[in-house]
Amino acid sequence: MHFFELAEPASLQEAIGLLGDSGGRPVAGGTAVMLMMKTGVFQPERLVSLRKIESQYSQIRLDSEGNLRLGAMTPLRRIERSADVAAVAPVVTAAMRRLSNVRVRNVATLGGHLAHGDPHLDLPPVLIALNASLVVASPSGERTMPVEDLFRGYLETALAPDELIAEVIVPANPDQRAAYLKHTTRSAEDWPALGIAVALTLNGGTVETARVAIGAATDTPRRLTSVETMLIGNPHNDAVLQTTGDATAGEAEVHSDARGSAAYKRELIRVFTARAIRQAVEGDRA
Amino acid sequence: MTGGSTTTVGHSFPRMEGRAKVTGQADYIYNMRLPSMLHAKVHRSPISHGRIRSINTAAAAAMPGVHQVITGEDVKAVLPEPYYGPAFHDQPILALEKVRHFGEPVAVVLAPDPHVAETAAQRIVVDYEELPAVFDEVEALTSEAIVHEELKPAGTFADLKHLSGKRDTNIALDFHLNHGDADKAFAEAAHVFEHTFRTQQTMHTPFEPMVALADVRNDRAEIFSSTQSPSFVRFELSRLLGWPESNVRVKTSHLGGGFGAKVYVKVEALAMALSLIAHRPVRVAQTMEEQFYTITKHPNTFRIRSAVDGDGRITGRKCEVWWNGGAYADIGPRVTQKSGFTAAGPYDIDNIDIDSFALYTNRPPAGALRGFGIPQLVWAYESHTDIIASELGLDPVDFRKRNILRNGRPQAVGTIVEDGEFEAVLDGVAQRLGWNRPFDKGSGTKRRGRGVAIGFKASISPTTSSAIVSVNADGSVIVYCSTVDMGQGSDTAMAQIAAEVLDVPLDLIRVVNPDTDVTPYDMSTLGSRSTFHMGHAVQLAATDARDKLRAMADEVGLPEGSNAPLPELFIKKFGMRAGTVVGAANYKPDYAPPNYETGQSPNATPFWMIGAAGAEVEVDTETGQFRILRLVNVCDIGKPINPEVVETQISGAAVMQLGFTLTETMIIENGQLTNPSLADYKIPGLFDMPDVMENGFIEAEQHNGPFGAKGAGESGTFGVSPAIANAIADAVGVRITEMPITAEAIFRALREKAGRPLEDV
Amino acid sequence: MSGHRRTITFTLNGRDVAADIGVHQNLTEVLQESFGLFGARESCGQGLCGCCTVLVDGQAVTSCLSLAAFADGSTIDTIEGLADGDTLSPEQEAFIETGAFQCGYCTPGFILMTKQLLDENPEPSDEEIMHYLSGNLCRCGAYAEIVKAVRLAGQKRKA
Repeated sequence: MHFFELAEPASLQEAIGLLGDSGGRPVAGGTAVMLMMKTGVFQPERLVSLRKIESQYSQIRLDSEGNLRLGAMTPLRRIERSADVAAVAPVVTAAMRRLSNVRVRNVATLGGHLAHGDPHLDLPPVLIALNASLVVASPSGERTMPVEDLFRGYLETALAPDELIAEVIVPANPDQRAAYLKHTTRSAEDWPALGIAVALTLNGGTVETARVAIGAATDTPRRLTSVETMLIGNPHNDAVLQTTGDATAGEAEVHSDARGSAAYKRELIRVFTARAIRQAVEGDRA
Repeated sequence: MTGGSTTTVGHSFPRMEGRAKVTGQADYIYNMRLPSMLHAKVHRSPISHGRIRSINTAAAAAMPGVHQVITGEDVKAVLPEPYYGPAFHDQPILALEKVRHFGEPVAVVLAPDPHVAETAAQRIVVDYEELPAVFDEVEALTSEAIVHEELKPAGTFADLKHLSGKRDTNIALDFHLNHGDADKAFAEAAHVFEHTFRTQQTMHTPFEPMVALADVRNDRAEIFSSTQSPSFVRFELSRLLGWPESNVRVKTSHLGGGFGAKVYVKVEALAMALSLIAHRPVRVAQTMEEQFYTITKHPNTFRIRSAVDGDGRITGRKCEVWWNGGAYADIGPRVTQKSGFTAAGPYDIDNIDIDSFALYTNRPPAGALRGFGIPQLVWAYESHTDIIASELGLDPVDFRKRNILRNGRPQAVGTIVEDGEFEAVLDGVAQRLGWNRPFDKGSGTKRRGRGVAIGFKASISPTTSSAIVSVNADGSVIVYCSTVDMGQGSDTAMAQIAAEVLDVPLDLIRVVNPDTDVTPYDMSTLGSRSTFHMGHAVQLAATDARDKLRAMADEVGLPEGSNAPLPELFIKKFGMRAGTVVGAANYKPDYAPPNYETGQSPNATPFWMIGAAGAEVEVDTETGQFRILRLVNVCDIGKPINPEVVETQISGAAVMQLGFTLTETMIIENGQLTNPSLADYKIPGLFDMPDVMENGFIEAEQHNGPFGAKGAGESGTFGVSPAIANAIADAVGVRITEMPITAEAIFRALREKAGRPLEDV
Repeated sequence: MSGHRRTITFTLNGRDVAADIGVHQNLTEVLQESFGLFGARESCGQGLCGCCTVLVDGQAVTSCLSLAAFADGSTIDTIEGLADGDTLSPEQEAFIETGAFQCGYCTPGFILMTKQLLDENPEPSDEEIMHYLSGNLCRCGAYAEIVKAVRLAGQKRKA
């Protein structure tokens, strides 16, 4: 481990002031940052700890419209155990179970999980499918952006060096059904080869709205809009699922790695997209 | 001494060190610190093969807090021949002139603060002339890339005396065995089968990484190491130093796992050289990553051919095995020979040819890993055996039983089999699987299958174990032996043996951690040899002590058969609580080395280890993903000294082999090892366990073993991989010939079979 | 060098303690070097094996990925604090009685995870046990015995 300084500001504004041109890099739970520093791929001269401002930004609440508002400093384990989260977005609660492990969830924060920009993480596709948005704070104030706009490339986000995620908003949608399937090709607790999240509403036997997002197999978590288009207005029968699965093969650019060849991953996307849609349709509001 | 009359042996006592382990107080060497110690951090080669043009250490040496930077030339200045290795003296303590594998140690920074040493080590700059490299064992046979220009046999071991290597090739050892007339058998065969199988490079990943501390001062070298081979480390370091062995002390402790990674010299020579140069105690503690550069399991390629007659009898077998030994031979030549002679499988085949080659390549070195080459062989011969049964329309269990080796028959090496319960082990698996009952093969996209496999292994021979058993005046007992307890429970087993012989309660027995100043010689803790060899030595030493106690009882006038407590006996003899009675023994089983031309030996091993596995799987035909519904392992381990500990050895071995079967593989791309970490090298976790797992051993007795026992640490690895491959073939009709068995490999095979191969774009 | 070093105070196994640390040091290292506690140990270095598990404010964390500076003001419990004098905790007893370890290197981590699990959920199902412990690895492969040990520990705590 290299030598560095550690700053522990007491307010978000103070923290933001230490970032950007001031050379500081933010650290919340620290799991990912420590991993990168230990292997030497990340050697900041100054770390800016967000821990002392945690309590202000780790609230889980429902706003007046019933939307779920999650403070960015909330540890994942609290989100996992929150009744509000389970009520508004049960798919988030379900995804937590296989998200890394209990020790990581105890310390890793929602904001860090998203700002890391690693496509293998679980919540990005889930939050994209749920049409969640972010409140981002910077010296010039706050802005809001959809989660799907956050990811620009491998470990690259749309956040400026002096911006921090303050809050995540998951819109209330009581009629929505959702599912998240994570698939590992080596050991069960490996990074996934593929994560597929689906959120849809039904009108009788027909799909009314649909958002489908993919992670892990692609450079960034992203929507599969062609799949959504094929689903909307159509019945959710096997024939449609077959064609939507086929549609995935062309849309997502996937790469070969130790978890599988690109060709194989495309087959997995085909199969698991259909399975995720089926699970969303057939499951309880999960 | 055997039978149901024992009071301690044969009973499942909890491990003696259990309390220390659950309170976090077990004394691993990794926890050890020495006063005024320096931490060593190694700068490693970023390429697989190259000539070192220059090493620039200036920036590292200039960093505040750095004590010293040391290169191979610095080592050579104090140790003129700084090469080590059990088979060849081929491995430099730090690279000299060349690097031969990715991650090879090139230079070291010493500093009191490990973070300073680590940061400085990154500032060393080495200029290389990169050389063509060879990674594949078959290519290495004919490759123009030559890993070693010169070979220096060590001449250490009786069984490897003929070892010389072949100059200007990558062949470290070639072993040949001819039994009967294989050519004739093939010419007369009703059916001939030929297949080629491959296995991948894997690593032991002991959780306590390899570590050694050295304090070399005033003609005295003290080495504290997480080693499985304290006696060998003393031997090798004293050779390097040119000192008598009594000037070198090697002490170890409980090990946080070994699995073969910590046999022979690993980081001890480096620690010794650094301390010799720095005149300070030095700690060389590897990270998990560094272990991947240090020792691995041999990948291999195995071409196997069988001649079968019209009755389903295997009449001939030809085996060609190429072992990928990596850049340094380590104990690879012995793997080649010892595993080599069982390559035809546990079958009674009259005509066998075996050619087995140990090859140098530019991969990290390969050595011993739980099974010593056997799992790689069983993978091939038991997959091959299943294919034959399937093509002949025979039941896989029946076909095996028709050909199985039985007691009284010669094994391929020419040694007559005794106490080898092959058929009973196979029956044990078949019975637990309910082989004769109908089996649900699944439907739709979920298909089920089942398979069996059986393998065997000879013990490492000839090897010696020595033990001392001392009886204190209060009747308590100390066992001195250099067997290392790395989790297999050897301390408990040795204590049980001593307690049984001396008829004292187990809690009065202490087993001393190996310390070459104190504990006598042992060849090494490896190859499932300790229960048999050290068990014998402890039994003999305890018997010696018991005989002396009896003589003492006679001397003080106690009547024969007197049950006087031991403290009373000592008081009668010495007038107070004083004195010690010491028993000692060496044990070495008989052995006859194989003839170099024919590979034949009338006595190649003191005992045979046998393990079989059965697997039931369910394959998802849409993805190739599969689940192991049931995994059964049954072994012949003779009579267990501690049945519960033996059972966990069998299950632990099977779980480890499960990782090698399914997920573990070291990936080398463009000469670089890309996954030296548990994040990318996946070992099995809780969710990778089979739905049901059963482990057991059959009723058996090793007539020449201590209390009828023999080794049990590896047998659980033997059958796992081919049993799973055979079950997959049974489920979906595709045959995987290369490990690891991945979902993608199955998916691709299924698509191939369906006539629409998966196309890579 | 200001900002590189600092003094932290925390409660360690029930006692108030202080340590002078470098901010680059992780918690495993400080427990070992400043307090001689080696029950939490770094193995994989990546939070996957769980050998370095300690409880911070009652929550299991990966101490080799935690900056020691973050421990300031917290309550830390390690495996060394689990037994009450010579009396082992129910979890420790259960691991011995079921033979749920071989080399013992991962054992403190599994035991602390078991304690936190049973604190949160005194009657876990096997599936809950598996999920909770799935972030710990045992290279000796004692998983079956470990699950048995957790069940037994649950029974012992109720007794």
